Amino acid sequence: MDALEVLHPGLGATVQDLGRVGWKRFGVPPSGAMDPHAARWANRLCGNADGAPVLELLMQGAALLVLAERRFAVTGAEAGGVIPAWSAATLPVGARLDFARNERGLWTYVAVAGGFAAPRILGSASVYPRGGLGRALRAGDRLTLAEPDLPGPRGRAWVAEGERRDYAEPPLLPVWRGPQWEWFDAAEQRFFLEAEWEVSLRSDRVGYRLEGARLNPPEREMRSEPVLVGSVQVPRNGQPIVTMRDGPTVGGYPKIGVIDPTALSWLAQCRPGVRFRLVAAE
Amino acid sequence: MFDLGAEAGGDGRRAVLRWLEEARPEDVVDFSAAFDRLLVEFAPGTAAERRAGELAALFAGLGPVPAEAADVREIPVRYDGMDLAEFAARLGLGVGEVIARHAAPIYEVALLGFSPGFPYLAGLDPALHVPRRAMPRARVPAGAVAVGGSHTGIYSVESPGGWHLLGTTPQRIFDPGREPERMFLLRPGDRVKFVPVD
Repeated sequence: MDALEVLHPGLGATVQDLGRVGWKRFGVPPSGAMDPHAARWANRLCGNADGAPVLELLMQGAALLVLAERRFAVTGAEAGGVIPAWSAATLPVGARLDFARNERGLWTYVAVAGGFAAPRILGSASVYPRGGLGRALRAGDRLTLAEPDLPGPRGRAWVAEGERRDYAEPPLLPVWRGPQWEWFDAAEQRFFLEAEWEVSLRSDRVGYRLEGARLNPPEREMRSEPVLVGSVQVPRNGQPIVTMRDGPTVGGYPKIGVIDPTALSWLAQCRPGVRFRLVAAE
Repeated sequence: MFDLGAEAGGDGRRAVLRWLEEARPEDVVDFSAAFDRLLVEFAPGTAAERRAGELAALFAGLGPVPAEAADVREIPVRYDGMDLAEFAARLGLGVGEVIARHAAPIYEVALLGFSPGFPYLAGLDPALHVPRRAMPRARVPAGAVAVGGSHTGIYSVESPGGWHLLGTTPQRIFDPGREPERMFLLRPGDRVKFVPVD
């Protein structure tokens, strides 16, 4: 049974779960929801397992047609529509979810009671178009219910106040010392932790470029080495790049820091113009 | 992050990777290696520093695992890369000389990385070592055979890339439509020889 039809994918629409773990040595990045906090809550509002596949939408423009009367949940970035972010409601067949105007955050998540059916590759439903693992959604695509015989919870529901996030006001983001931390002199290290950063427009699921300040890169050549999601690499132009969930598994730029995994869902939702600071993790 | 150390050599590195592959400790979520650097990711809640110390001691005690006499996999290459002429000119070599030197060695897959199944092949003729391009290309097609620094490799999917493109292979080295065991043509430690074709 179909749950939704994609009338328009907007700026970007893919199916994601919590990622593909255990294939890094073959060059396969984890992928998965950019904001796993929001993705989990979308599933919880629908009575699904935390790691069930959800629909991830970038900013705005997506339009979805409801094909099954079920509870739908919307979490993450606020982008308009009949279901406010961080809540769920049962929608009738023929209803539309229009994400016409993004107000805060970057990534919106949609879940359905009963879950979306999605093919798994290497253990995950997370789509990774650059690596040929699935493709982004297009107009006319339909998403099918994984559990058509289980109607699941009905009616309205909200995420508790303390778990909702205002992405316009990110907290201090904890960052660990990177493998090449010592390559940067003390002034650069301090500046890295004290500067106000901002995500560049030239950012995507592969990497977030940071603007607002510039670091002096060390004058040293390095060999490529494995890279963790959240690594802050400093290329020769001094503009840091944070490796995100579809990012390469090896990299050849010095890494001054690694953003703590718990802070990555906050960073993922920082849109250009939102300023944030880092803090040394303990 | 572990330093496997140059002194351990390929046999020492193989021993560590073989052990991780077979022992699969429960608190190890993922691991990957590049050259002599090994990244081990622990499950959340693991006392990572203590476990890293234990693993380092264990790795140091492993006996070397020599390379197996694996079959050499022949990969056909059409030497039609858009950087071939410039690459040859920069080295002061003829195009034919570059092709001959690139197709001569038996390479070893040092790691798969950058994109799914992309092999970093060790054993490149030192005469062909050239730093990566100053400006990476936004789009390199899958199957492009290229040189970057002291390695040669094969682009496994269309992606951005900064290596010098010498040729193309029709062989698929990464096929996500296949079952997991056959998705990747090459594995770390495999040996590869390029065969020029027209």
